[in-house]
Amino acid sequence: MPVSPSPLQDLRARIARIERGLTGTPWPAVSLSPFIDRHLPEGGLARGALHEVLAADPGAGLAFCASILGRLTGPVLWIAPAADAVWPPGLQALGLCASRLILAQYRQPAEGLWALEEALRSPALQGAVLQIPHFDLTAARRLQLATEATGSLGLLLRPPTAARGPSNALTRWRVAARPEPRAQPAWQLDLLRCRGGQPGSWVVVGPELAAPP
Amino acid sequence: MSRRYLALHLPWLAIDRRRRRNPALRDRPVAIWHQAGSRRVLQMVDAPALAPGQALADAQAICPELMLFEATPREEAAFLEQLALWCLRFTPQVAVDGTEGLLLEATGATALFGGEAGFLAAITASLRNSGLRLCAAMAGSAAAAAALARADGMDRIVPPGQELAAIAPLPVTALRLQSEILIGLRRLGLRRIGDVLRQPRAPLARRFGSALIDPLQAVTGPGALPFHSIRPPAAFLAARDCLEPILTRPAIEHVLDALLGELCQALSAAGRGARRLTLRAFRVDRAVQEVVIGTGVASRDPAHLRRLFAERLDRLAPELGFERLTLEANATDPLEGLQTMLGGPGAVEGPSPVPLLAELLDRLGQRMAVHRLALLDSHWPEYAAVPADPFAPVAAPSPGEILPPRPVRLLAEPVALFPIFAVPNGPPVQLRQGRECHRVLRCIGPERLEPEWWGEDAERPARDYYRVQTVEGPRLWVCRLLEPGSEPRWFLHGYLA
Repeated sequence: MPVSPSPLQDLRARIARIERGLTGTPWPAVSLSPFIDRHLPEGGLARGALHEVLAADPGAGLAFCASILGRLTGPVLWIAPAADAVWPPGLQALGLCASRLILAQYRQPAEGLWALEEALRSPALQGAVLQIPHFDLTAARRLQLATEATGSLGLLLRPPTAARGPSNALTRWRVAARPEPRAQPAWQLDLLRCRGGQPGSWVVVGPELAAPP
Repeated sequence: MSRRYLALHLPWLAIDRRRRRNPALRDRPVAIWHQAGSRRVLQMVDAPALAPGQALADAQAICPELMLFEATPREEAAFLEQLALWCLRFTPQVAVDGTEGLLLEATGATALFGGEAGFLAAITASLRNSGLRLCAAMAGSAAAAAALARADGMDRIVPPGQELAAIAPLPVTALRLQSEILIGLRRLGLRRIGDVLRQPRAPLARRFGSALIDPLQAVTGPGALPFHSIRPPAAFLAARDCLEPILTRPAIEHVLDALLGELCQALSAAGRGARRLTLRAFRVDRAVQEVVIGTGVASRDPAHLRRLFAERLDRLAPELGFERLTLEANATDPLEGLQTMLGGPGAVEGPSPVPLLAELLDRLGQRMAVHRLALLDSHWPEYAAVPADPFAPVAAPSPGEILPPRPVRLLAEPVALFPIFAVPNGPPVQLRQGRECHRVLRCIGPERLEPEWWGEDAERPARDYYRVQTVEGPRLWVCRLLEPGSEPRWFLHGYLA
């Protein structure tokens, strides 16, 4: 259980876990940033769950996923339909080192979902990203079960047009780049859906997702 | 121990293959024809009163009910290869010999079939039962056995050391010589191999050259010809014969489990792990199917290998059933034995994470391309990251290094941009990309990159890179290509975080 600032926060995290039907030792949530963590029921991005990221523009979506994976330890898998999905020299600044990154290139969407499920079921990885536009609820349910079995973090990186469909991901984020005069990373981060929590909206700068000065 | 070879000659291969596929052809005259220049002539005939080399029209006039097929050498070759794979069940060394022959190295394999006669009978009976006409001969050298098999339609076994006596009465045609040499030998009155062998070699060599001497040497000499095995024999092999042909997936998996257990035990005893495994399924109709899997790091864990096969077993088509399955390790690496944990109360159970990752990558690698990207010490964007083996760790850059801002995605195919300037030689105010238009808020740069003068593309134009902050929000990595003698061209090369 993460060390929480207050008993109330602690209680909320426990209720969130009970609502998800999880028992046993909890996995520590992935901390994004203090002022976002306060808003999330488990005090951070929950492990053992699926999270959806809608990328309003390509750079912001990739960077947000990379900065989440950068907070995990050990190798991570990036599953994409294109061979040039990500470029490690740029991910370095987001905390995701090239030595931790493994890329898989799928041809059919079903293959991509299969690869993500295999990766989430494997105890060798703490997290994986799948870039995919569409998938059905059955596939998402399978992925959800896979994450709950091992406590790994699954990210689905999707185009913004996917916002309307139903989903059983624990949270759904929308990330868009904001103009920044020095061309430094700055994003408009919207929490569109959060099971057991409230939607929210933040402006963050830098890979540490800090509040803008 | 002297070597023993079995040669099989299938002179009716093309016709027998068609008759096997179409039983209606069984009792009818059949001929195979091919195009020779502008004429169509018979190549292979199984009909009375007709002979190869006859014109197609003549043959049809003589024998109106003749069934004619065009020669398909490629299909015949594929069928012969299938037969060669089938023969791997009798001996691990099988080679295709020409267009209508097979060679089997029988050394040491005959004892399993009750001696040489039993070995020969088992193979010929098996192939004849499936409707193939053939002639077999066993001898101490491959060339002698092949010559004996082509002599007359008799199966024969020549005891070791008697090859010369056995081939001497054979006609010279058994040596598979070129037609001009055959004509030349006939003019000289040399009709049998013994006649040729009695002649002094030097005049023969002067007249006919190596085209005659080489086959003669191969048949008589002690030097063995290279034997091109169709599949190199594996060091580790497990095989199961089924009493009944098996058809169903559970049955196949059951046999595979038994094979994997046996093979992994052998690998464990030898201290090795498999890198590539071939499952070979012998179907009752003499077709052989292969399923190959590879692993990234050597493994001899049956459960892991079984999961890798599970993805591929769908490709097997049992149809009437498989009667034999073999599993062989074609490539192995040394694999040190790992000591199992002494089971104290605090002992950590389970394998360490590195084999777990290798297992996951093996499974993914069966269906998709998996790689890492290794960082190279190059400022040229295309060379900064190269695909690398996913199983080996790649070096991480030193943490203290200050890196210039780089995009999170580098486009493999840069997209052309058309800039609009407010002032000449100033920064662009708009960048048009197809129908889309990026309004520029800030353009940071240029960062001049010159090609590596020591590399192959030292002649390429230099590039100016800009970090462009658009009014809409996205940050782009834009390249201005400085080609001498023309206007600079602009490209979108990547997306910044």
